[in-house]
Amino acid sequence: MKIIDKFKGSLTGYAFILPTFIFLIWFMYFPVYQALSGAFTNWDGFNPPQFIGLDNFERMLTDEVLSQSTVNALIWIVFSIALAVIPPFLVAELIFHVKNLRAQYIYRTLFVVPIVIPGIVTVLLWRFLYEGDGAINRILEMIGLGSLQQLWLGDPNIALYSIILMGFPWISAFNMLIFYSGLQGIPQEVIEAAKLEGATGWKRVFKLDIPLSFPQFRLIVILSLIGSLQNIIPPLIMTNGGPGYSTYVPILHMYNVSTVNGEFGYGMAIALVMFIIILLFTILNMKLIKSES
Amino acid sequence: MNKKAKMLPAMMLTLALVLGGCGGNAAKNSPSDTPSAASGNQETSAAGWTGTITMYAQVYTPNSKNITGLKDQQMLQTVADEYEKTHPGIKIEFVDEEYKDYTQTIRVKAAAGELFDVFWGQWEELNNTFPKGIAEDLTEYLNKPNPYIADKPAWKDAMNETVVNETVSPDGKIYNINGDYVATAFFYNKDLFEQAGITEAPKSWAELIDTSKKLQAAGIVPMSQAPDYGWFQRHFLSDFFSKEFETISGYDKKPGISSLDQSVAISKGLLSTKDERFMGWWPMFKELTDTWKKDYLTADPGVAANSARNDFLAGKTAIMYDGSWLPENAKDANINFELASFNFPVLTAADTAHTTGHDTSGAVGGPNAAFQFAIATEQANASMKEEGKKEAVLDWLQFLGTPANVEKVVNEHGTFVPTWPGTKPNESMADLASQASKELKAIGVGGSSPNLSKNLQRIFGLYLSGNMDFDKAQQSVQKELDTAIKEYETKNNTDYSQY
Repeated sequence: MKIIDKFKGSLTGYAFILPTFIFLIWFMYFPVYQALSGAFTNWDGFNPPQFIGLDNFERMLTDEVLSQSTVNALIWIVFSIALAVIPPFLVAELIFHVKNLRAQYIYRTLFVVPIVIPGIVTVLLWRFLYEGDGAINRILEMIGLGSLQQLWLGDPNIALYSIILMGFPWISAFNMLIFYSGLQGIPQEVIEAAKLEGATGWKRVFKLDIPLSFPQFRLIVILSLIGSLQNIIPPLIMTNGGPGYSTYVPILHMYNVSTVNGEFGYGMAIALVMFIIILLFTILNMKLIKSES
Repeated sequence: MNKKAKMLPAMMLTLALVLGGCGGNAAKNSPSDTPSAASGNQETSAAGWTGTITMYAQVYTPNSKNITGLKDQQMLQTVADEYEKTHPGIKIEFVDEEYKDYTQTIRVKAAAGELFDVFWGQWEELNNTFPKGIAEDLTEYLNKPNPYIADKPAWKDAMNETVVNETVSPDGKIYNINGDYVATAFFYNKDLFEQAGITEAPKSWAELIDTSKKLQAAGIVPMSQAPDYGWFQRHFLSDFFSKEFETISGYDKKPGISSLDQSVAISKGLLSTKDERFMGWWPMFKELTDTWKKDYLTADPGVAANSARNDFLAGKTAIMYDGSWLPENAKDANINFELASFNFPVLTAADTAHTTGHDTSGAVGGPNAAFQFAIATEQANASMKEEGKKEAVLDWLQFLGTPANVEKVVNEHGTFVPTWPGTKPNESMADLASQASKELKAIGVGGSSPNLSKNLQRIFGLYLSGNMDFDKAQQSVQKELDTAIKEYETKNNTDYSQY
């Protein structure tokens, strides 16, 4: 009886959150369920799907494009992590060591403002910069380094690296702020003690700042890893995976087999495998954060 | 259990993020028998259905405000007004939207049951790319009289017979009406030619190479574009295999080369690397592209087309191989040079031992333009379930699909050529229209699977840019062909041994 009364009392609250849950289930969970079940079907996105068991996953094992894409993704991950960690950390260090607090605030703001530029604009801008007669080659010509001119997006040996390395100077405002807040979190007495021990300059960075910023490093490594696996826009817009398959990545393959070939079942199978991989990293991330907290 | 429950949202959100990351419409441009509107199928609308018929007409969209590069066109609206006058209660509404990824748009709209009643659907996509069942099979109606064409026992008799036969699906169905032809040619900048001391357009392959080298020597970029494999293969293969045309086109016992014909020819080792002619043109084509600026050699033609065209229109390159829409683009861009064109040359024994001397200048364009209209099925468009609507939509398509209307609509746009018997092209298209008057005997591969052309394009680009040698290219091409015909066999239950 008490339980029923208690439930009645909560009805209003449940009624308020019900619409949110309906939309959440309809727009988030149901598509996920569809994708999970669709991975075991042959489906063209229009006609009724046919259950084909593990055929899609067997096909993945012999899919050469997917193999090459996976190798490209691994290269991408390594570079992404390095670029997501090193430049932002160095900038965070520099800002943190600015004596004047107001100047610190101004620098921080200057690095964060570019966040308002949509990512797609950056991608298109870099596509122009990389063109044969784009700004990069012209600058090289102007400074007498014409011999270094390249077909940045047209040479299969460097196209992937060109896409990965776009966005110079690679200062992610989000990552920089994470590192900056980490540095701010180092107790003042620890810093003073380290000073007395002679830990200044680079010595302090390596002996004190980096070890005490490990939680931030771990978080950014995991987020970059997940982010780089989901990164479809740059290769799609800049090269559509070319030249050849040199800039193809699994998520682009998933997109193309689904929307171009109409093989939504196979696309979902690729998505499912990616989901499992990303899920593993998410669990790892949660464990690491938990252990740190 | 608790831990799992806590992690479930994270798992689901991750999957949603993965899936969330994944979820231009340039076409590849009056006869004496005026249709008797009065004799139309007025019983259809009288049969009860009244309402709005939606139509996506691509570059023929009248009064367009949202589709780039369209002039102030009204002809299709005029035709629709005529129809509405004689069919009270029916309204034709044109969809004025530009779809950057039209294939995906069609897929999504069809899946949602919201496809346009009449939509632009290219025959190859309807046959091979779009899901089966989104477009009505029009075969039955093509074999019956069109009430708006007085003197033909069947609607298809008013159409271009070769086009009808060539665009039939693997299972023998026709999903659209196809009324125009796109021509392709080498367009060139006369001013840059003069600058290089070239007074005449090249008339042979050797002259084309020579012209390119002269331009290069004068410090002018001869060409710079993505070499479209789908286009150039048709020029060369239609020549090299011209004697086998009847064999290749005859597998399905119908005129024209269908995707079934292509697949069978590949399986028999004819249109495959087992026959040295199949890739025999690659080295000679590389000789030409070696004079090009390298920027777009490995690019996807779809991605690079606009940049390459802009380079040409800005006078940065001397020659561009493009479709009959280019002169219109040039007018819109207010170019400051004299534009001229020359056809793909007839090859000679001096160029290659594989040539048969066949003129293949018209082999590329063909029936791949914008007057290609299909009707949505009731699975793809829920409103088609309304009683009498399908008949009404078909009646509108029959009204539109007459030689007189095809000619008016196609010529107003001005970049394509009407193909139905009795239709005449615009004066300005006369040169390019000469290609359309040639018998369509185009040979190529690409219809066996949706991504065969794309994959061959990748290999072609790598070879031409020097990133892949000929032997490796040959192996890769054969692999793609084998995969494609296997896919075709599975999807269409085809037994190649029957042919």
